[in-house]
Amino acid sequence: MSFEQAVKDYGPKEIGPVTFSVGQGEIVGFLGPNGSGKSTTIRMLLGLIKPTSGTVRLMQRDPLLDHVRALEHVGYSPELPNLQSFLTPKELLQLTAKELGLGRKETDDQLAVLLEDVGLIRYEDYKIAKLSKGMVQRLSVAQALMGTPKVLILDEPMIGIDPAGVVQFRSIFRDFVRDGGTIVMSSHILSEVESLCTSLVVIHSGRILFRGGIQAFISERLGSRSILVEIADPTAIEGSALVGRITSLSGVKQVTPTPAGLLVEVDPDSDPRGEISRLVVESGAKLVGLGHSRSELDEAYISAIRGSPTQ
Amino acid sequence: MRASRVLTFARYEIRRAVARKKVLALVALTVLISTAPYYALYATHTSLVTPPLRPYLWVLGVFLPQAFFLQFTALLIAAGSMSEEYEQGTAEVLLSKPVSREEYFFGKYLGGYVLVVGIVILDVVLSISSATFVFGPQQQLDVEPTILVAQVFAALVFYSFAFMVGELMRRSSLSYILSASVFFTSEVVGVFLNILYSLTGTDVYKVANYYLPTSPVDSLPLLLAEPKFPSSVQLVFRFAATPVEPSIVVSALLIAVYFLSAVLIALAYFSGMDVAKRVT
Repeated sequence: MSFEQAVKDYGPKEIGPVTFSVGQGEIVGFLGPNGSGKSTTIRMLLGLIKPTSGTVRLMQRDPLLDHVRALEHVGYSPELPNLQSFLTPKELLQLTAKELGLGRKETDDQLAVLLEDVGLIRYEDYKIAKLSKGMVQRLSVAQALMGTPKVLILDEPMIGIDPAGVVQFRSIFRDFVRDGGTIVMSSHILSEVESLCTSLVVIHSGRILFRGGIQAFISERLGSRSILVEIADPTAIEGSALVGRITSLSGVKQVTPTPAGLLVEVDPDSDPRGEISRLVVESGAKLVGLGHSRSELDEAYISAIRGSPTQ
Repeated sequence: MRASRVLTFARYEIRRAVARKKVLALVALTVLISTAPYYALYATHTSLVTPPLRPYLWVLGVFLPQAFFLQFTALLIAAGSMSEEYEQGTAEVLLSKPVSREEYFFGKYLGGYVLVVGIVILDVVLSISSATFVFGPQQQLDVEPTILVAQVFAALVFYSFAFMVGELMRRSSLSYILSASVFFTSEVVGVFLNILYSLTGTDVYKVANYYLPTSPVDSLPLLLAEPKFPSSVQLVFRFAATPVEPSIVVSALLIAVYFLSAVLIALAYFSGMDVAKRVT
């Protein structure tokens, strides 16, 4: 899928020009604050709204002019899904199957598997109006997976999902990509994006701020990266030469003792985790954990939003 | 455009409308309107129901709802067809699938129209049954299929108009109000023009009346039916309306022009406009 200088002009507000593309096998996190243009971009991609200028391609086709073929292998789960409350999950999936032109046997087979996968098999004959918000979200993802999608476009798919469901969805999405699928997923849950996505698109005030890998985004936005070194007994390294030896490593800017061990600030392009772990082990301290700070993507994202020229 | 997908949306629309309970209320009203008058006439022993009139009383139930109830039914079913999907945010989900906008549009149009046809048929069946049950065997029933076709065809005017307004407004309450306003205004202006013509004899009032949307709708079934019945039955027809249009052809042409215009405007608008997000 690709956007080439795509603009949607709403009069007082303009989204774009948006230019980026997504290749097969990617799980792309689509990030941006509320009202930044994520949903508009997704809706242009689905041929639901017409770009004022520029071009949009989905499965290499114009989703507006060649809607049927462009969306033949695309599943979409909208943000806050407004599904037909008078239908049951089973009926909704049957309707989706008819829209997709699936046969009866294929529909029945897929329906049972999908409802089982998203944990709704017990509720297949309940009216959607009676389901909880999380269940409706699960059903929305199930209808997106109906047929033989090669691309999934998911607008906030984890909203309202319980932790077990999140784990289940992660597994479903990873399997989908492993089988050759592509996912574009908008989300405000950055930890989710970090754990699932292979690359990012960051949009703010209708403009694309970044397109690329997560690590590249963090490196670009943060002057340094943080590595947390967790040591079983941090008092054991007090006064030792360990801090000095880590500081002398190439790319290391600063080492700060913390109650859990050490916080090592490094240049964004360097990754001395191997050397750090060797030095800790050599010093006799017991290494419990070592990794990048979990809030790095949050920090990079906030930095990108705050630092964007439109702010 | 695939017929199977159009039928899928038509079935979906029927299901949706029935689930909204509006159609069930309309069915209940149809039962009341097409049966109650017979029992009321019987119970009151009115002198209006003379023996020569009795074999033709089925006409009363068939024509009584023509001017108001059937048109209002068509309007109520159509006005929410497109607009409620936008309001509930369900249009977005349905149209994000590999279906063309035309398939969706015509499927929904067809589904709602099938309901209108169903209500007209229910009215006819109940009217004939009630008339037979209360006043004995009915005559001239062979005319009924022609009347039915005319009624169903005439219903296209306000059905299509309300459908168009629903698409243009994308708000169900506004669509109901606007469509109903046009319908009632047309009826009232028609009566007013009739009175003016009767008082002044000026042809311009008569001709202006031809072009009101309610005029061909009210006239066509009457123009087709009246010549087939003895003059003694004309009184029954007057309960429904007085035909305004000069001929069957003019009535049919005006109906075709009105409903096709509405459908084309709605389709052009729907094809070119964005699919709105949930609006309420």
